[in-house]
Amino acid sequence: MMNASDFHQKMLLREYREALPTLVQLKDAVLQSLHEMLDNSGLFLTAIEARIKKEESLAGKLALKGTKYASLKDITDLVGARVITFYTDDVDRIASMAEKQFEIDWDNSVDKRKLHQLDSFGYNSLHYICRLPGYDFRFELQLRTTLQHAWAAINHDNGYKSDIEIPKEYLRRMNRLAGMLEMADDEFSRIRMELTDYRRRVQTLVRNGKLDDVMLDGDAFRSFLQAGPLNRLNRHIAAINQAEIQDTPLDNYLQVLKSLKCKTLGDVSRLIKRYEEDAYLLARHQLGNTDLDIISSAIGLQNICIVCILSTGGGKIGLEHLFDMLNGTNTPNATLAAITYEQAKNLPFMKS
Amino acid sequence: MRTTIQENENQVIASFEGRLDTAAAVKTTIAIKPLLEVCNKEVILDCTNLDYISSSGLRIFLSIRKEAAAHGCKVIVRNINPEVHQVFVMTGFSSLFEIQ
Repeated sequence: MMNASDFHQKMLLREYREALPTLVQLKDAVLQSLHEMLDNSGLFLTAIEARIKKEESLAGKLALKGTKYASLKDITDLVGARVITFYTDDVDRIASMAEKQFEIDWDNSVDKRKLHQLDSFGYNSLHYICRLPGYDFRFELQLRTTLQHAWAAINHDNGYKSDIEIPKEYLRRMNRLAGMLEMADDEFSRIRMELTDYRRRVQTLVRNGKLDDVMLDGDAFRSFLQAGPLNRLNRHIAAINQAEIQDTPLDNYLQVLKSLKCKTLGDVSRLIKRYEEDAYLLARHQLGNTDLDIISSAIGLQNICIVCILSTGGGKIGLEHLFDMLNGTNTPNATLAAITYEQAKNLPFMKS
Repeated sequence: MRTTIQENENQVIASFEGRLDTAAAVKTTIAIKPLLEVCNKEVILDCTNLDYISSSGLRIFLSIRKEAAAHGCKVIVRNINPEVHQVFVMTGFSSLFEIQ
């Protein structure tokens, strides 16, 4: 015989089936809203997803605490959305964006990250219960990091229905992992923050011309190039044939500059100053009797490297090594080195 | 100057034959139009039989590179002879293309 509680559950499940088209609309609207909010935010995200609670899952929930809900609208997670971030501080950033985008039901929202005691670890996630204008149903927005998500997904997959059934040893080991992942999350955020600080520091040193204080690495090199230290040489070379200059990334020259014993940006700056005139002479010698009127912005630095190698006795082998670094080793770099050497061999810098 | 375009599952291959100079540029630009439309896979510019390249030719290669980059695809210049390769080096274009 059906009791009052069973009857109430059945009523709620029937209501749920009738409400499904509205729930689908709400889910789509939430997803669209989240994409509008986050797609151009510049935040790196693992996922933006939304789902409607399945009937079996709802039935399970109602069996456990069905009497708690007077009507279907009291259930706040029929539509659930989730944003998974790489960094823990991005969770707070997105939370603040969500507070502006949605109406938050503060009484029912929980920051599970703050529920733990000082000496306990476990599920970490920020849950907001939200409302979109025009919809009677609320929805749950979960915000968590990739590591928190991995922990929650694996923990959810343990086959147990509630915490009470879980063996203590399993719980202890899972919580131990949660603590470790929390440390990893914090460390990832700290690394990102320190890298940002480092880049700012490098930019300031470059701006203030303290190039000898900046070690040559990818970030430093990019900051240095932003100041356009090769623009004058490139324009000078372009003027030989009234050529247009095609902008080209110079990332692969970092390795070359290191091989030329540049340790700091100061070394790179001195290398440019020392060889730019001869680099121009090489370009004039090569391009002067052609009608090539398009060049890449790599030409200035490339010629500086060529001149540096040749004027320090590196010869054809040095050039081949340079082309190996720039073009890869599966190109005919020995032939190319020989041609370049022939073109350069009578230029003044070869006699110095 | 002759340009042929072949397409397989993962690549589109344009083969150039002869002198890619100003005179041949208009014809080549028309010939590579189908290539620009399928630039959503790796692009191979086969230069085995390319004898010479001028600025006009470099601009054509550049337009292919831009189209491929817009689709997140790379362009590989294959089998260039030493003279054509030297043009790539003299202009700094060897830094713009992967040359094999």
